[in-house]
Amino acid sequence: MFWKMLNGALVRRKGKLVMIAFAVGLGVSLATAMLNVMFDVGDKVNQELKTYGANLTVVPRGASLMDELYSLEGDSAEPPRAEKYIAEADLHKIKMIFWAYNIVDFAPYLETAVKGGGQEISLVGTWFNKHLELPTGDEVDAGMNGLKTWWDIRGQGGDDADETGVLVGEALALRLGLGPGDSFPIESLDGQVGATVKIRGVFHSGGVEDEQIFAPLKLSQDLSGRPGLVQKVEVSALTTPENDLARRAAQDPGSLSRMEWDTWYCTAYISSIAYQIEEIIPGTRVKPVLQVAESEGAILEKTQLLMLLLTVLAMACSALAISNLVTANVMERSAEIGLLKALGATNSAISILMLTEILITAFIGGALGYFAGLGFAQLIGHGVFDSAVEVKGLVIPLTVVLVFLVTALGSLPAVRMLLRLRPTEVLHGR
Amino acid sequence: MIKKNNSFLLKILLSSIVRRRSRLMVALVGIAIGATVLLGMVTLCYDIPRQMSREFRSYGANMILVAAGRESLMMRADIENAAALLPPEKVLGLTPYRYETVRSNMLPYTAVGVDFAQVRKTSPYWHVTGQWPERDGEILIGADVAEFTRLVPGRGLTLEGRNKEQARYEKDVTVTGLLKTGGVEDGFIFMSLESMEEMTGEPGFVDVAEISVMASGRELRDLAEAVRSGQSRVEARLVKRVTQSEETVLGKLKTLVYLVTVIVLVLTMICVATTMMTVVMERRREIGLKKAIGAENRSIAREFLAEGLILGLLGGLLGSACGLLFAQVISANVFNRSVTVEFYLIPATVLVSALVTIIACLIPVRRAVDVEPALVLRGE
Repeated sequence: MFWKMLNGALVRRKGKLVMIAFAVGLGVSLATAMLNVMFDVGDKVNQELKTYGANLTVVPRGASLMDELYSLEGDSAEPPRAEKYIAEADLHKIKMIFWAYNIVDFAPYLETAVKGGGQEISLVGTWFNKHLELPTGDEVDAGMNGLKTWWDIRGQGGDDADETGVLVGEALALRLGLGPGDSFPIESLDGQVGATVKIRGVFHSGGVEDEQIFAPLKLSQDLSGRPGLVQKVEVSALTTPENDLARRAAQDPGSLSRMEWDTWYCTAYISSIAYQIEEIIPGTRVKPVLQVAESEGAILEKTQLLMLLLTVLAMACSALAISNLVTANVMERSAEIGLLKALGATNSAISILMLTEILITAFIGGALGYFAGLGFAQLIGHGVFDSAVEVKGLVIPLTVVLVFLVTALGSLPAVRMLLRLRPTEVLHGR
Repeated sequence: MIKKNNSFLLKILLSSIVRRRSRLMVALVGIAIGATVLLGMVTLCYDIPRQMSREFRSYGANMILVAAGRESLMMRADIENAAALLPPEKVLGLTPYRYETVRSNMLPYTAVGVDFAQVRKTSPYWHVTGQWPERDGEILIGADVAEFTRLVPGRGLTLEGRNKEQARYEKDVTVTGLLKTGGVEDGFIFMSLESMEEMTGEPGFVDVAEISVMASGRELRDLAEAVRSGQSRVEARLVKRVTQSEETVLGKLKTLVYLVTVIVLVLTMICVATTMMTVVMERRREIGLKKAIGAENRSIAREFLAEGLILGLLGGLLGSACGLLFAQVISANVFNRSVTVEFYLIPATVLVSALVTIIACLIPVRRAVDVEPALVLRGE
């Protein structure tokens, strides 16, 4: 009897129920789109924030100050050999730490003074787009091209395959009177080693780099007589915003309890990534660049909170709208309910019938809405970030619970009102 | 005749509102929700890029002032003149820097004179352990300097050096805190500009000044151009790393908020329209009855139009109030600031909700009036 009535209601009142299904579908598509975007917005914005460049610097332990001090003295003699360096052969290990996949890019630097065009020039050796084959079998590309995205380059970008191809800073190029495509000789300060370099491109960075030459690492190692060594490495990593635990760990990892230590080590905090790089390349110190790291955290947190609140409020509104529509829909059925009651239906039988009917409709609408929502999410993903929004499975149970709660709670006031109806009055047409 | 007609319309409207209180409540709530979302989202859409741009200032200064031409130093008065060319409400902070090579225990250091109150605004990422210097002779030392010299807050040292006239100077200073930034600042010693001028005996000079300006993209370039053309002693340059990246990320965030707003608005408006249609549809019997006793299609449509208008205006007003609250809640929670309201949006919201309501009413009414009254009244 129950199923027959249910079936009858579903078929007879198609038009009205389609309205409910439609509204629920709209609400669900909104919820799906917003939830999917919300869960993914952190990763996406994090990826975008990488345009600010490296957030970690790796320097040899104990040697970081010496170079700056000696260069300050203004004497152009070569720094003493006691200075410490990082071995180029160790660098690939950065891609082998626990959070390897969070390392977006990295590039080593070796700065040396050379003579060229009758003056002393600072030449920085680096990787532009070095292809690395890791012992784990993975292959990665690392280098400066991905780190300094704000540079304006006239001519060609840097390429490691071109051993004498260099990038020259705008201010220096102007001073030397050279442009892309020109070649000029340089030699080490003691005149022992020389090379002719070809300018691939001239760049504008807006910083001190505008007075420098960027060359393949090998060239700078040859000119400075430091084969296989680098001075510092810049690393760009995707990180989780800092919290109290991370700040305590950054002060002293030893102060954490076993449990806290595990949590810290297995979260992509900037301090734990720094710690893991120090672990895997002994003799180095890894410093978070606070200008980038702190601001990234702040902006990420704000964006996520913003999306969360927008999602919650948008969902609250769509929930209200759905329950409102359900109420409107149930109310117009007073005559039918009155008749059922007059025929002797109990209150509970009527409530169950109505709720089942609405829930079935809602779930049909919800299922359609879910797929529409995925479409909206991808629309946002491609429109804004030029990449697909990852579809999170977690969203499905969330929306199912949402649909259930919203339709059930939304129809409760209406059902209660119907139960209070007096059959005679309703049937009489009041 | 017209007067009589109007008073009849009023009577019908009034009785319709009184008789069908609960149904109208449902409609009103629906419209109000729509208006809430409309005003709330649009207000946020206007406000978020502005607020976010403030957040991006945590990356530090986006404009620097350096001496124009071949000069290496600027006078402080020149900087003040140049900064006066920027609108004061856009300038979050302006920090002058003066670099000086000093020695302590025969080792050379770079000492930097800054304004500590301003540097906290232009470089909010500076991490100081201990106290910020407050008095003359108090200094901050960078983390690398601290590691190298084993100095801790509270310890004193003597700085010495020569100024441009080659006159020797000496000053006893106390370390009050350690500075950590992860950048070049870690290798410097910082003191107040006044302390440094007192030490070297050369007042008024500045190497560079950092400014944090609340602007991005074209606006920022225009401001830098205004400084450049307004005076000739100081040149304004943009910090490309900060400005370029901010433009990219802020642009994406803006598009994100716009897209989300558009999608939410479209869905909400459809939802409001559906609710209104349901509420009106159940009145087909009434329409049929009116037609049966001789009402014209036009007068029926007019009645619904008036009802929709009233509902739309009421709901729009109610929703506007809620919408402002909605925007305020988000802004207060996310940015700790109250939202800037564009007041012309309020009448616009009320108008749009009235329009949506009327359209949503008229679609089912048109369908209802086309039907033969007899059929409707029989319940088909």
